[in-house]
Amino acid sequence: MALNFQQRGSALVRRVLFGVLLVASLAMTAVYAREGDDGALHRAQAAVSGAAAPLKLVGATASSGAQSAGEALGDLAADADTLSELRAYNEQLVEQYAQMEEYRQENERLRQLVDLKDTYGIEGVGARVIGNPAGAWDQTVTIDKGSDDGVDAGLTVMGTSGVIGQVVAADARTATVRLLTDPKSGAAALVQSSRAQGVVRGSLEGLLYLEDLEADAEVAEGDLVVTSGLGGSYTRGLVIGTVVKVDAKQGESSRRAVVSPNESASALEEVLVVFSALEADGDDGENANGAEGGDAE
Amino acid sequence: MSLTRENIVVAVGAVVAIVLQVVVSPNVAIFSAQPNFLLAYVLAVAIANPLGAGPVLPFVLGLLADLLGTGPVGGMALLFVLVSFVASRAFAVLDNDTLFMPLAILVAASFAVETLYGALLIALGLPVGPVDAFFYRALPCALYDCVAGLVLYPLVARLVADGTQDRRPRAPRLR
Repeated sequence: MALNFQQRGSALVRRVLFGVLLVASLAMTAVYAREGDDGALHRAQAAVSGAAAPLKLVGATASSGAQSAGEALGDLAADADTLSELRAYNEQLVEQYAQMEEYRQENERLRQLVDLKDTYGIEGVGARVIGNPAGAWDQTVTIDKGSDDGVDAGLTVMGTSGVIGQVVAADARTATVRLLTDPKSGAAALVQSSRAQGVVRGSLEGLLYLEDLEADAEVAEGDLVVTSGLGGSYTRGLVIGTVVKVDAKQGESSRRAVVSPNESASALEEVLVVFSALEADGDDGENANGAEGGDAE
Repeated sequence: MSLTRENIVVAVGAVVAIVLQVVVSPNVAIFSAQPNFLLAYVLAVAIANPLGAGPVLPFVLGLLADLLGTGPVGGMALLFVLVSFVASRAFAVLDNDTLFMPLAILVAASFAVETLYGALLIALGLPVGPVDAFFYRALPCALYDCVAGLVLYPLVARLVADGTQDRRPRAPRLR
């Protein structure tokens, strides 16, 4: 009897707890949807993401190491005959080669970033990507620079060949960057050759779409798409990508083009956070980033 | 909550699931689909111990999943609590002492969580179509979750249920 009573009591507590936690979850979801980026839940999310950054770095490093090891093993298998003559030096040479190749690639990426910085007259800070997207529904990466280095929400982020996203949250030492390929991203853009204006949006399939183009806008494959700076969310005049396909459906008031993204999340290693840039479209005035992000939320 | 062996095992398992989610999951993505180790673990515990599993573990791990990402805080927590409850009750009713039933419930629950989460995101303003959300994210992620769940369930069943779930091959038993 006592045991039955205990089980009933326990079941009752569990049911009450179940109801309370359901209501709490619903309430948090509602509050999160209504509060701004400075809200308590958004700040808690940024803080937890920052706290998990060291663990993310471990994962990213291990993943990179595993990839290098796989490549090295592939090389070994491919050149087994040749390597048999150099058995004494094999391990040392492979290790040195892998390290030098890593330095060479890093040097190449940094050189491209410096070139980009010079080309656009960018004031900014370089950062290393330390975390890949935290969930399947996010296209965000974590970088190792935060508010201590001047990185704040709303700043444009560039990869080695152009704009890759925007900072959406920053704590003292790390920041979260939402990539352009995220469906929640939206950047005001224009086609460089025809000046046709539109909005570049991400999608779940990982493609970038230049949308809201006028029906008679001149867009062709190979056209360069750059940020227009409208709305102040992204720095003006930075390369977003190249048009690879134009949707030309008849009878629609606007057209859409597919834009090749600059880089995929998995390929990102070093990025440049843009504080300000000289406009690349002929004006010399400085164009600072807006404080608000260009998310489509 | 008393400090029993079962609770300690569940807590240690939760920590392992968190580490897997933060360290491993982002680096094993296939076409943007990632396994949700937290969901797989919660479901494995709910099915391995249907009468003992409460709503606290799903809530805490769901909340953590929300805080680690950029989606709405509370969304995953809500779905984890709901679906783990339904999964544990379904298992308590439908269990026929074969391996099929827990795995079928695990698969169904994974699909339910990923699909409902996609629906929640769309309801909260994610600018994508429901078909895209299902085929590009919910479906591949659910399949990936199932793989993680199929690995975790036998381990959890062995450790949490302490061998009380005997699932050797035999004819299904009706209850």
